[in-house]
Amino acid sequence: MNTYLPKLKTYAGLLVLFLALVLPLKSIKAQRLGHGVSRGGGHTMSRGGGHTMSRPSSRPKATRTMPTRSTPSRSINGGHTKNKSRNFSKPTTKTPSRTANKKVSTNRNNSKVTNRKGSNNAPKLNTRNKKTSNIKTKNNNRVGNKTHIGNNNVNINVNNSRHNNIRNTRVRSSSVRYTRPPYRYGGHRYYCHRPYYYHPYRPFYWGPVWHPWGYFVTSLATTAIIVSIVNDDDDEDEYHYDNGTYYLKTEDGFVAVQAPVGAEVPSIPKEAEEVTVNETTNNYYYGGAFYEKNAEGYVVVPATAGTIVPGLPEGGEEVKVGEVTYVQFGDTYYQPIQVDGKNMYEIVEVKAE
Amino acid sequence: MKKLFFALAVFTFPFLVQAQEKQIDSTAIFILDKMSDVIGDLASVSFTLNSSVDKLNADSNIEKHYKHSEVTMVGPDKFVSRTQGDQGNHAFWYNGEFMTYYSFDENNYVTLEAPDNIITMIDSMYTRFDFRFPAADFFYPSFTDDIMEAFDNIQYNGQKTVDGESCFYIIATNPDTNVQIWVSNTMNMLPKRMVIIQKNKENLQYEAHFTKWELNPEVPNSIFEFTPPPGAKLISILEK
Repeated sequence: MNTYLPKLKTYAGLLVLFLALVLPLKSIKAQRLGHGVSRGGGHTMSRGGGHTMSRPSSRPKATRTMPTRSTPSRSINGGHTKNKSRNFSKPTTKTPSRTANKKVSTNRNNSKVTNRKGSNNAPKLNTRNKKTSNIKTKNNNRVGNKTHIGNNNVNINVNNSRHNNIRNTRVRSSSVRYTRPPYRYGGHRYYCHRPYYYHPYRPFYWGPVWHPWGYFVTSLATTAIIVSIVNDDDDEDEYHYDNGTYYLKTEDGFVAVQAPVGAEVPSIPKEAEEVTVNETTNNYYYGGAFYEKNAEGYVVVPATAGTIVPGLPEGGEEVKVGEVTYVQFGDTYYQPIQVDGKNMYEIVEVKAE
Repeated sequence: MKKLFFALAVFTFPFLVQAQEKQIDSTAIFILDKMSDVIGDLASVSFTLNSSVDKLNADSNIEKHYKHSEVTMVGPDKFVSRTQGDQGNHAFWYNGEFMTYYSFDENNYVTLEAPDNIITMIDSMYTRFDFRFPAADFFYPSFTDDIMEAFDNIQYNGQKTVDGESCFYIIATNPDTNVQIWVSNTMNMLPKRMVIIQKNKENLQYEAHFTKWELNPEVPNSIFEFTPPPGAKLISILEK
């Protein structure tokens, strides 16, 4: 056993070496071409890095001298940098050879984009207090504006975390096959049945009895009922339901929140609209919540991808996702679309690549 | 153990041979270097770019989309561009502190803190948010080195006439991509046209055509400042 272990390590080492030699390193694409050298991703010949350009190994090394050209201090790109050797054994064209070896390789330390003078690895102070966009990531961590000092007006969105529970914004997959190719961005595919048609997000108003998320009341009507929901931590959350609006109790009163998935209520407002989920299933849509009808009443269900809704409640956030702008509620993305000339939204199905 | 070395050698040999087949034409590199030298020496520049890009539609047919962009840069930290095309109208403003993308069609915009020089800003915005700036490739400081690194074969293919102007014609290829660059045969040796063909993806093409080069123009700083139009909405953005 002891004799096999060193052999095993040797084989493993050789295998790693083999893979490193054989598998090509994909250069990162920047803009339309890869810029491995500019971005510091590639090795350079001038450093003796074993590059694979064709040239006889017996050729003597060229003398490396610093360039005589001087770059203006305010150059648009900091000046042209050349790290790779320009020593060519013989030109493969009709060009006279005197042009071939004229260039000498330079070895500027500031050649990498990320190492250039003034490169911006450290966050800057927002001395001008300018409003900037929230930067969202796929796991919903908001990283925008964290570097600001005196951050008193930079956050453009109300913090809806309390009212916009991720658990209640998860999306069920569509059972209808998508015929349109997905929109790809950041390692995710965004599927929709209908084409993107932008219209500005304007929260829909469901009438005087409906209250948007975050709305505060000191007391509820006697018609309000209590709905208990088991949350992700196996604790029971107690919601108060009245006329299509759900409330959570606070110290001073009640605050309107998003409908909790799983809540069962005896009735929903008559303004609720029937929306098609698939050929056999319809949901009822009211106040941003989806309901399924059963014998006892209505159950709040997760949104289903592909469902088309006529309006969205307050609490959403317009988010630029590559070339398109979606409205986001927690984990749910709504694509603006147009149906028979009317502005509507389709729930997007998001899948990792 | 000897057998293992032999097996490794047999497997590795074809790849090493393939790597050694890289063909770099010194004339092509000379021309690209000269072009990059001129660009690197510019303190300010403006130009117009007409471009087309192929995309696959829902039926997997190739659609060609056209864009017209006007670009102005002042080194080291000012950039503005406006693009109009059949896939939307938008503009970028960069003043050394903030970068703003504004959509004329949607009347919304994204403003982000940005690095303090043009190239780092362009690279950072592409890497993080997929923003593509018109003809940005040519302004990378190690453009020639980047081409040498990414392509196996770079050849100078003589002079061709583009819009009545004599140009040096360079072709760079690797197994996935074919890039063709026309560089003006003038004192300034500026890029005239570029074509990128994705050989591994239905031969989709991107073509860019430069006109109206202005070298070291006097440009007022105020054009790099973004002022939101009436009703324009600041929106969030999803990082890649």
